[in-house]
Amino acid sequence: MADWVPLGDRAIRFARPPRSAQALVRAVRAWPGVIDVVVARHDVAAYFDAAPGAPEAAAWPARIDALATAPDDPAAGRDIALRAIYNGPDLEHVAAATGLSSDEVCARHAAATYTVETMGFSPGFAYLGGLPAALELPRRTTPRTRVPAGTIAIAGLQTAVYPFDSPGGWHLIGSVTGVQMFGPDGPLLQLGDRVRFVS
Amino acid sequence: MSLVVVRAAGLVTVQDLGRPGRMHEAVPPGGALVQGRLIAANRAVQNPDDAPAIEVLGNLVIRAEQALQVATDTSSPRTLAAGDEFAVTSEPRRVAYLAVRGGISAPLVLGGRGTLLCAGLGGLLRAGQRFTGAGLAVVASRPLPAERAAGPIRLLVGPDPDHFAPGALELLVSSEYRILPSSNRVGTRLDGPALPRTGAPEVSRPMVIGALEVPRDGKPIVLGPEHPTTGGYPIVAVVAAEDLGRLFSIRLGGTVRFTGTFPTDETSVR
Repeated sequence: MADWVPLGDRAIRFARPPRSAQALVRAVRAWPGVIDVVVARHDVAAYFDAAPGAPEAAAWPARIDALATAPDDPAAGRDIALRAIYNGPDLEHVAAATGLSSDEVCARHAAATYTVETMGFSPGFAYLGGLPAALELPRRTTPRTRVPAGTIAIAGLQTAVYPFDSPGGWHLIGSVTGVQMFGPDGPLLQLGDRVRFVS
Repeated sequence: MSLVVVRAAGLVTVQDLGRPGRMHEAVPPGGALVQGRLIAANRAVQNPDDAPAIEVLGNLVIRAEQALQVATDTSSPRTLAAGDEFAVTSEPRRVAYLAVRGGISAPLVLGGRGTLLCAGLGGLLRAGQRFTGAGLAVVASRPLPAERAAGPIRLLVGPDPDHFAPGALELLVSSEYRILPSSNRVGTRLDGPALPRTGAPEVSRPMVIGALEVPRDGKPIVLGPEHPTTGGYPIVAVVAAEDLGRLFSIRLGGTVRFTGTFPTDETSVR
């Protein structure tokens, strides 16, 4: 039976079952008393409206086990194209570190289709999986104190667009134009969406 | 009803009870730093508990442009005539709430009316800003839930014990920590003995309000209502939900002590 750990008295954390983030959010939100769900790369957290009692807690291991077979339709996300300008301050560094030309870095980044795997860090920040392995780099050793909203960045096997001015440790390769990544209607990108960068 | 801001210094914002249900979009719950005190101010003027009110971490002076009734979380209701000024200070605590009978009008955005700075929703109050009433109906006054007045802040230990060296927890519950002035609605920064960490690798994991996140310098940060929904620093313990308001009410520069229990077996660590 699946294990969980308390995250305070109104939330629990458990290992991420092999399902898409959007399927996990949908399934866990259907549990009694759950008001919020966060799916991270390796973990899931469920947040409750009140401190759950022992009877509820006794049901979690079986509920967590059942998530591994929760209905999942990875193709259900939307297709979204973001207009990109590849003019980031780290473009030359990324080119040097990967052994590619700057043009080749941009071309490979723009050729891939990405999927929103998780969301975290700041409102609407979408971790986009699917970065070509040729562009894989560790994070910067020293994070920047301010990255402007709309900046396209890469780290590991992921890319992202910063929704707000914020600190950031990823490599900055460009920026999106003509869109706001987060606004009064919420985030532009949702879990499961497929994203392409068009230059 | 309408009022105008004469002076606002510090973190002064419109708040309600937040926007739960959006953490999967990386939107934290937000809402009042001390929900119990927002509710107290609202009940004093017979508002619904979730009516938008003004949260003051600092100082605020307003002027009534028409007759209106106001209360804070610590003062009785008072009727202001047009032209009367009313001052609110968070001293000697960290935060105070100003409620106006009928509530303050603020747009409903993403399920809430409060300011969420990290999401660019709303903003800090500034001099000259005008607010109108929300026209909420009177709600019969209800008694407030009892609040624990004193004693250490209760912690639920974990969930990342592998990230802390032996003795870290004992140090945390046996020491006094000071609330640093750099604290805000994202996090309450503590100064005191550094908690020794192990070399376990940092992994970005789900966060929760009240978590004591511990960066590499070992000084805990207690996550507040605008916390990032995921974070890479390990969590040594989480503040019991009932004690969050007491912790977030302690003035900047004030001190706090903690006590811990293991949630699984209620065994006290001290």
